[in-house]
Amino acid sequence: MSFMPGRLVQIITSPDAAVRNQSLDAICRAASRDELLAEADELESLRARSENLYERVRALFFLYAIHRFHLPLKPGVNARSLISFHGYSHLLQRRFEEAITTFLKAQSADGPSDAISSALAVAYYKLAIQTLADQVRRSVRSVRGNQWMFRMGHPADHPLRLRPDLLARDGDGAYPILCERTPVRMDLTHCGWSDIFFLGMDYPEGAKVLNVSIDLGVRGRDAGTRPPIESYLRVIDEPLLRLTSVDLGATADITYLADVFDFAKDYLGLLKAAVIASGIVPPGVEGSGQSLAELLALVVGPGRGLELVSNVNGIPKGSRLAVSTNLLASLIALCMRATGQAASLRDGLSEEERRLVLARAVLGEWLGGSGGGWQDSGGVWPGMKLIEGVLAAEGDPEFGISRGRLMPQHRILDHTEASPAMRSKLQDSLVLVHGGMAQNVGPILEMVTEKYLLRSESEWQARLSMFAILEEILAALRGGDIAAIGDATTRNFSGPIQSIIPWATNLFTETIISRVRAEFGKNFLGFWMLGGMSGGGMGFIFDPAHKARGQSRLQEIMSQAKSELEHALPFAMEPVVYEFAINERGTWAEWLPAGAAALPERYHALKKPVRPRNGADATRTGGGAESLAAQLQRFGFDRAQHEQIRADLIAGRIGLAQNRLPASTQIEDVRESDLRDATRGTEKSFRETGLSSLSRGEVAVVTLAAGAGSRWTQGAGTVKALHPFCKLGGKHRTFVEVHLAKSRRIGKLCCTPLPHVFTTGYLSHEPTRQFLEREKFYGYGGPLFLSEGRSVGLRLIPTERDLRFMWEEMPQQMLDEQQQKVRESLRHALIGWACAAGEAGDYTDNVPWQCLHPVGHWFEIPNLLRNGTLARLLEQRPQLKHLLLHNVDTVGADVDPAILGLHIELGACLSFEMITRRIEDRGGGLARVNGRPRIIEGLAMPQEEDEFNLSYYNSMTSWIDLDKLLAVFQLTRAELTNEEKVSAAVRTLAAKMPTYITLKDVKKRWGHGQEDVFPVAQFEKLWSDMTALPEVDCKFIVVPRLRGQQLKDQSQLDGWLRDGSAAHVESLCAWE
Amino acid sequence: MNIRKAVITAAGRAQRTLPLQTLVDRDGQTKAALTIIIEEILQAGIEQIGVVICPGDQKPFATAAGPHAERLQFIEQTSPLGYGHAVQCAHEFTGSEPFLLLVGDHLYVARGPKSCAKQLVEIATAESCVVSAVQATHESKLPYYGTVGARRLQGKAGLYQVDQVVEKPTPTVAEQKLIVPGLRAGNYLCFFGMHVLTASVMDTLDTSVRSAGRTGGVQLSAALAKTASRERYLAAELAGRRYDIGVKYGLLTAQLALAISSTDRDEVLAHLVELLAQK
Repeated sequence: MSFMPGRLVQIITSPDAAVRNQSLDAICRAASRDELLAEADELESLRARSENLYERVRALFFLYAIHRFHLPLKPGVNARSLISFHGYSHLLQRRFEEAITTFLKAQSADGPSDAISSALAVAYYKLAIQTLADQVRRSVRSVRGNQWMFRMGHPADHPLRLRPDLLARDGDGAYPILCERTPVRMDLTHCGWSDIFFLGMDYPEGAKVLNVSIDLGVRGRDAGTRPPIESYLRVIDEPLLRLTSVDLGATADITYLADVFDFAKDYLGLLKAAVIASGIVPPGVEGSGQSLAELLALVVGPGRGLELVSNVNGIPKGSRLAVSTNLLASLIALCMRATGQAASLRDGLSEEERRLVLARAVLGEWLGGSGGGWQDSGGVWPGMKLIEGVLAAEGDPEFGISRGRLMPQHRILDHTEASPAMRSKLQDSLVLVHGGMAQNVGPILEMVTEKYLLRSESEWQARLSMFAILEEILAALRGGDIAAIGDATTRNFSGPIQSIIPWATNLFTETIISRVRAEFGKNFLGFWMLGGMSGGGMGFIFDPAHKARGQSRLQEIMSQAKSELEHALPFAMEPVVYEFAINERGTWAEWLPAGAAALPERYHALKKPVRPRNGADATRTGGGAESLAAQLQRFGFDRAQHEQIRADLIAGRIGLAQNRLPASTQIEDVRESDLRDATRGTEKSFRETGLSSLSRGEVAVVTLAAGAGSRWTQGAGTVKALHPFCKLGGKHRTFVEVHLAKSRRIGKLCCTPLPHVFTTGYLSHEPTRQFLEREKFYGYGGPLFLSEGRSVGLRLIPTERDLRFMWEEMPQQMLDEQQQKVRESLRHALIGWACAAGEAGDYTDNVPWQCLHPVGHWFEIPNLLRNGTLARLLEQRPQLKHLLLHNVDTVGADVDPAILGLHIELGACLSFEMITRRIEDRGGGLARVNGRPRIIEGLAMPQEEDEFNLSYYNSMTSWIDLDKLLAVFQLTRAELTNEEKVSAAVRTLAAKMPTYITLKDVKKRWGHGQEDVFPVAQFEKLWSDMTALPEVDCKFIVVPRLRGQQLKDQSQLDGWLRDGSAAHVESLCAWE
Repeated sequence: MNIRKAVITAAGRAQRTLPLQTLVDRDGQTKAALTIIIEEILQAGIEQIGVVICPGDQKPFATAAGPHAERLQFIEQTSPLGYGHAVQCAHEFTGSEPFLLLVGDHLYVARGPKSCAKQLVEIATAESCVVSAVQATHESKLPYYGTVGARRLQGKAGLYQVDQVVEKPTPTVAEQKLIVPGLRAGNYLCFFGMHVLTASVMDTLDTSVRSAGRTGGVQLSAALAKTASRERYLAAELAGRRYDIGVKYGLLTAQLALAISSTDRDEVLAHLVELLAQK
């Protein structure tokens, strides 16, 4: 293929849709390094000169993709390079343009490299998302009816007045109550996430959803269905805002204007967003320092205020029915009616008013730092409606900036398009459920945007095929054919949805579908995915004659599947089956008789006026002090050591700042002679040495799987090793299965089964044991051991000093403006919580296993010694000489005979595998510390910027010469059975290892699927610090990135699947 | 169009004493507000004036009108059914003729020698249609006024073709329906308290009054909104300002406005400076 720079620019700028819809990947695959660099230059110049927002954004995504997926693979691109700390600081501060300039200069000076490309990819990606978010924000502000709220800066200028009807007291002097009841919405087609604002604004023709307003009830709990959302407003004789969320059990009297904008201070952020977005306290007065009472005096009357109450009828979070957006819309509609911005105080809204509620809900979500799709306020509209993107026309604020408008149009389906009989049939066949899983769909929405703008081949074809499915569903609705709907939604889920986002499905969902299908056969008409991901809200379509049985069996099937997978996947609650009915009225207001009796029953239970966010409240947890105490005893908790740590923490002898080495420590990058490079292959003899050793049975694998994997599920407390994280070889595989499959392949290769040990902790031991038994140890033929942890810590409430150090002294990624405000408000609240709950006090206000913590992976090797696993292994394999130790998330690590051979040749006690650094590889690396090569943890870096002078990152994979390690412990093989001696040896060495204080996120679950995340303090000792001991002979080997990279965060998965990493891992595995 | 008649509305329960307040006018003469309004009307060449009042108010109003009392015809609004009803009460007086309508609680200060009423009458005569005087008003004052959505008339400065009329709109509605190109952001064309109406508007009010019955709530703005959809209806920005004497410090502000545009300007300003200096 001949190559002419500017082809990618043409794809972006061409007026021809067929050219515009071409994929970048095909072109990039064929290009050389220099051709790609030339293309990147052209794209840079396009984004600098183009006036068109979407040309700029698409150029940014193209540049991201070139640097993330293509350039690093081209011959002639260096693996090793340093990333400028200066550029990184720009990234953290969201100065993306400056970061890009810095990294591009480095690329020009030093040539292209994997490291610089990783930095450029992040900067381009973040700038693209920021540009899109800024545009949505501008569009929201420019919607007519919203603009005045940003102009109004002083209460004296307030142009709204409460409707006089609401001030008319009854005979008892009570004010009337206005009540708004609002259904939620379900998306009947799954739209391929085409309701993302970015997508609708660039590709309005492709933004289509079929959205249905529904009433709900929880099966077995509620007598029938009703609009699940209720909001209430009334005047009070106090100059303040009284906000109450009945379902969250929170109420607060707000007397200061600034507190209205403090979203994360309590659980009332949504009510505050509604007060602001409805114009009662317009966004323009934020930071004005004016008086809330004066503002209310003008709007409501002197000395008076407003009470706003919300109630969601026990519908759990994560239902995928847009409960929170519709609640926000309901509150906004209520406030708009009360202030005359909607004509009627009763009944429904006009189309114009509904559209304004939608615009205000978008504004409210942005204010609250969240964001849904444009169909989410669908409950405001009645019945079934087709919502579609609209091309921007002259006069629209978006005209000339984006192809589409911010706001879609709604067309309510009449009875010719969906007859009353068809509507009943739908109700009689569809079973709506909440599977109970807790999920964060934010990354999914960014992935969808990215894939749309890149027009990645298969994803684009999938998106196009969804239109036909939508048409099929519309036709089936007209024709009254439920089976056809089930067929279409099932095909949609298994085909296009998963082609665009493989992560839309998971093992839990697939387990339920397959069990339902097996049990109901042809009477199961189809599966229907709701919203961003499956596992929470979902739909199952049955033959109407079997719906009742379907409901009752689904409850059992889901509960069973949950109990099997609850340690592997994050669940927020028990699965729920709903009753539902189509709501043909949309949001609806009515007057209630004056007096508190009209308010929800649980409102009256909220006597205490304030429940601060994250306040200690043991009643909300399932845990109790007794069971925690029992568990501490069972896991051998060392109370004396714990008290010492607490005393040290309070005295400031240990803490985040004290983790660091002295500022005078000399940190330098290593020299070439300090390590061996195995990235370009090794000598043939090494491989032969390794294979021979393997054949003789001298090697075993130890997978570290005792940690809580906090980053993987944001502190959900599941067992990461058991997470079925990706489909490999045609089915979902857990980390454990992948590691066993690699060992199986190596065992077959050398005709000697490879022993494999998984270390476990208090959290993971029993679940792992039970899981492996249920899975029949994945049919693994070699010796398989679980090494149970012997150490456990009790988490502590962090000190204010450490919280401030983490949030104020350490480099932090700034968030988008409004999200940053919310984050700062939350942090302020969390510092308040730590001080109120008692700094360095025991963290016990959670279920027991969330109060405990693993004490760092250093202990996992001594545990092998202490718990007898190594002794048992040696009984079976007395010839054992080498251990491969790796983290559970280093999925590319295996017993590569060539690297094993190199380790044997090097003859060291420990050989650590290193990889060249990318920007995401934070947390230390290989350095010369005061002239001696060792691994230094990020926690111990005297200054953050030191890390950016280090070329190599620690993969946490190490090879252990068993006898040499035992010598370090001053033990022999024979002494391994002497428990006392082993314990003494471990204690002696442990005393030499540094103890780090870390802050980890831990989730606390309460209510209906609600979760709070707390930072808690814990201590740990880390294996890599063995390199700091002078008596331990350590060597360092550079390995290919595919071997050494780790999966720490689920948001890495998509890139991991697309950049060849997953395929590489599959090539290492033998599944049977 | 020949405009010979004017109607002053002064029947509002809260406003009925306002026209009786005494002020010093631009000539330095002490007069009732009602007299100042009547003189404004007379300057416009109007011959007959109808005053809509609450039952029983005729005597104080006649006294306040002083030398002009004999020109006045008093019309009683027997029940308070809305401002539109008050205007409709004068239908018999106006007959089939166009007429100038003023509210009794506003005073006007023209920027030049020509009174505001005269400016409006001249425009209506020339354009031969319903005309409302309007003033660009900040959105914070929207809760007090009827507001129009309008387009500028090409080649006629200060004149607008009215498309919509909304009584006391919220800024939300105003921003969606009442934006007038050329006004500063957040400003809308709000009623000045002075209109030239025609018999067709009175007919519309008749219908509204009949259909409202005893429930009332008849608004002039609603009748004007119908007028905008049926016939040519203009809004005119006049060279002058209105002063609502019914709001807090309204009377004081109106008095100051009159005084500093009067022959006593220097004396009044000197008093003000002295006051400020003492403060």
